Amino acid sequence: MHIVRKATLALVLAASPALAVAEVGQPAPGFTLTDSNGQSHNLSDFKGKFVVLEWLNHGCPFVIKHYDSGSMQKLQKEYTGQDVIWLSVVSSAPGKQGHLSPAETNQAKEEKGSAATAILIDGGGTVGQLYGAKVTPELYVINPAGDLIYAGAIDDKKSVDPADVAGATNHVKQALDEALAGQPVSTPRTEPYGCSIKYN
Amino acid sequence: MRSHPATRPAAPRALRPRTATGRLLPLILSSLFLFSSPSSAQLHQGQKLVEATLLTDTTAIVPGQPFRLGLLLRMAPGWHTYWENPGDSGLPTTFDPQLPDGFTTGPIIWPLPQRIIEPGDIQVYAYQGEVLLVRTITPPATLAAPEITISAKSTWLVCEAICIPGKAETSLTLPVAPTAKPSHTELFEKFTALAPSDEAPPFTISWTATPTGWNLGLRDLNGPATRADFYPYADETSPVAHTAPRELTNGAADLAIPVAASASVRGLVVLENGARRGWIIESTAATPAVAPAASAATSGLWTYLLFGFIGGFILNLMPCVLPVISLKIFGFMRQAGDSRANILKHGFAFTAGIFLWFLGLAAVIIALKSAGSEVTWAFQFQNPWFNYVIGAVVFVFALNLFGVFEIVLPGRATQGIAEAGGHGGLAGSFAQGILATLLATPCTAPFLGTALGFAFSQTSTVIAAMFAAIAAGMAFPYLLLSAQPGWMKYLPKPGAWMERLKQFMGFPLLATLLWLLYVIGQQRGTEAVIWAAASYLCLGLAAWLYGAFLGPVSSNRAKTLATLAILLSLLLGLGYFTGNLFARSAAALPEKSAARANNGIPWVPFSEVELRRLLAEGRPVFLDFTADWCITCKFNLRTAIDTKAVREAFEKLGIVPMLADWTNSNPEITRKLAQFDRVGVPFYLFYAPGKKDDPVILPELLTEQILLRAIGAQP
Repeated sequence: MHIVRKATLALVLAASPALAVAEVGQPAPGFTLTDSNGQSHNLSDFKGKFVVLEWLNHGCPFVIKHYDSGSMQKLQKEYTGQDVIWLSVVSSAPGKQGHLSPAETNQAKEEKGSAATAILIDGGGTVGQLYGAKVTPELYVINPAGDLIYAGAIDDKKSVDPADVAGATNHVKQALDEALAGQPVSTPRTEPYGCSIKYN
Repeated sequence: MRSHPATRPAAPRALRPRTATGRLLPLILSSLFLFSSPSSAQLHQGQKLVEATLLTDTTAIVPGQPFRLGLLLRMAPGWHTYWENPGDSGLPTTFDPQLPDGFTTGPIIWPLPQRIIEPGDIQVYAYQGEVLLVRTITPPATLAAPEITISAKSTWLVCEAICIPGKAETSLTLPVAPTAKPSHTELFEKFTALAPSDEAPPFTISWTATPTGWNLGLRDLNGPATRADFYPYADETSPVAHTAPRELTNGAADLAIPVAASASVRGLVVLENGARRGWIIESTAATPAVAPAASAATSGLWTYLLFGFIGGFILNLMPCVLPVISLKIFGFMRQAGDSRANILKHGFAFTAGIFLWFLGLAAVIIALKSAGSEVTWAFQFQNPWFNYVIGAVVFVFALNLFGVFEIVLPGRATQGIAEAGGHGGLAGSFAQGILATLLATPCTAPFLGTALGFAFSQTSTVIAAMFAAIAAGMAFPYLLLSAQPGWMKYLPKPGAWMERLKQFMGFPLLATLLWLLYVIGQQRGTEAVIWAAASYLCLGLAAWLYGAFLGPVSSNRAKTLATLAILLSLLLGLGYFTGNLFARSAAALPEKSAARANNGIPWVPFSEVELRRLLAEGRPVFLDFTADWCITCKFNLRTAIDTKAVREAFEKLGIVPMLADWTNSNPEITRKLAQFDRVGVPFYLFYAPGKKDDPVILPELLTEQILLRAIGAQP
């Protein structure tokens, strides 16, 4: 019965490509994932706080652009310092680009100087699919009530050139600044750009 | 990271466009031009991923004469670069020529992309193998230099399982000459054929707003294409999700384009038949309308209007209209002795009734359509109240034929305006026109289905024209007979038998009433039928009282009493039975619907999910769209579907019989019908094994033999 329901859900999802599962303005879909330190996190653990979900693959040139320029780490530091929860999610399937063991994940986190709250390992890709995430980097912002308030690209310069970071408008920064100031998010949805997530 | 060297991309490596040899070549062989730059290769762990070359379609630059400059990217097997809208991931290639002063360049001409689907339903629009991006360069009218060097910067993202950015700066030098020969002809021709076509598309298109975006209907395709696909251009404000390619059936296909409500869409329609050709099309902003190829669409419109006319004519032969037809013919016979002008007047009154009904219906549909409801043919019969009211009308009509009462008003009117020459029956003719069409709606004749399917996706004007065509078709024989009453001579002479015939005509009407009650029963249960019948009984009593005691010979006292009794019985019938009991009767339970379909065939109830599941398993499926109020459906079921031979064939061939029951309004079934441009039932589809995107559409007037042949049980 459970399998049937799951298959039905999958078919319904496949039948309606226009409808992303996670919709801005709607409650963010709940999930439980284990981080690189073996600790389990449920999205509901963070009720009452802003949560950022960042889809991550350190092999992807678009991700490299934002880490090599230091802009992603800066963003992480700035907002985790304001009690925002920053969760990096790796949905690459085992054996595919971006998938790392927990130890390798921690090593990469240290090398890159990531200031994320945790790096969640989603090797089955279920949470990625649940959110309809297609690329890395792809970002989601969830408000303290648990509603999705931003989904899309990191910024408005679709390129792999680190030099483009400086002149770009960072959509995530804008969304968080507005939301933290109690204002509605002016650009709640953008088209993400990046490498495809390496699902199975 | 170090432990995963294979997943770590090499730093983007673009070779200098000119190697040492490349730099020396022009010096050594200054008179020899290659019309292409030396290739620039993107290397990754020793593998050449992309080779970039700049080339022209000419051997020399002729002042003032435009030529084409191409960036040729050759990708390693399995790797791809991206179209101008990359899709879910990736990045479009850039190609920026650095031109001397006075030169101008056109935009990049992008060849048709391919759809590549990666795990997780990530779809990208990309190029594999090789691609030539072309710009048209216009040199100035005068050039002093003997030769010109053109260079270009380009960047790209090349992906397989992983993505690696690349870039190149390439250049080439061409002599300036008064004449030139073509160069790289084959390559430029190959990719020019793959560029969006400037010619008018060989098909008509229509845009229909759907709950999830647009339905792009391709019709009347001239040519051998077997498959249609759609690639949207990038739109940051209203991104377009992916369209599934469709196989073409009889030169037609419907493509679902998912996009936010009322957003306009611009993209490429690509047709395939081995070779690929594409046309740029654009939707209207908010209102669906017939787009570009207007003349082609107009010719399509005339064809459809003709079908509408023929369909309307055929409505006269459908069983549900037959009783009214007989009535009308009977009326003509009675009038046969009248003056020609009078008969023609009746003909026009009847025609006016038909037109009023159809145009009224068109107005309602246009209104509902603009209100966003899902409206379909015969939708009225999905409403039990509608069925109840029609039942009452039919019943009262039958009583009138039996002679229970006469309609006095027309008689009085006749007397009152006797000098006008028997105007009285005109109202009757008009009403009969309305009734005839009312009863015709559930019988979707074969032509009508197509014509209406077309009309529903159209503008208000087209819908109105469509319905007018149907009305004209239906009224045509009557109008003809009233204009040529001489032909009525061939009909039998009037006589005493006419009264008998009139009474007899009441029975087909009662049969129609039975059918309506049956539908009401399916919709609201047995109790609803009883309460409807009870209120009809009161109505009948009122009609009898009216006929017996309100005639011109009755005394005033009798009239007063009768009027009171009529009011009482109407109060009881309409107030208590209808307003109270009928209104409260429950809607038929779904379990009942399942039990109802319990004939010899083990029907599976239709749902899109279940259908997709069965098709994904590779099961053949026979899909029957039916409704209880559809007599043609019932007839087909008894004579062509639920027969021993078909049951056995279904079982033997493992065909899943699926029933889409449209008795009550069901948006999922309405959408499925709309996919095939249908707005009425019956409708039959057969999905042969492995043909899950390409079902066979069976005729609406189905026979056992047609069905057995279609499912492959008979040669």
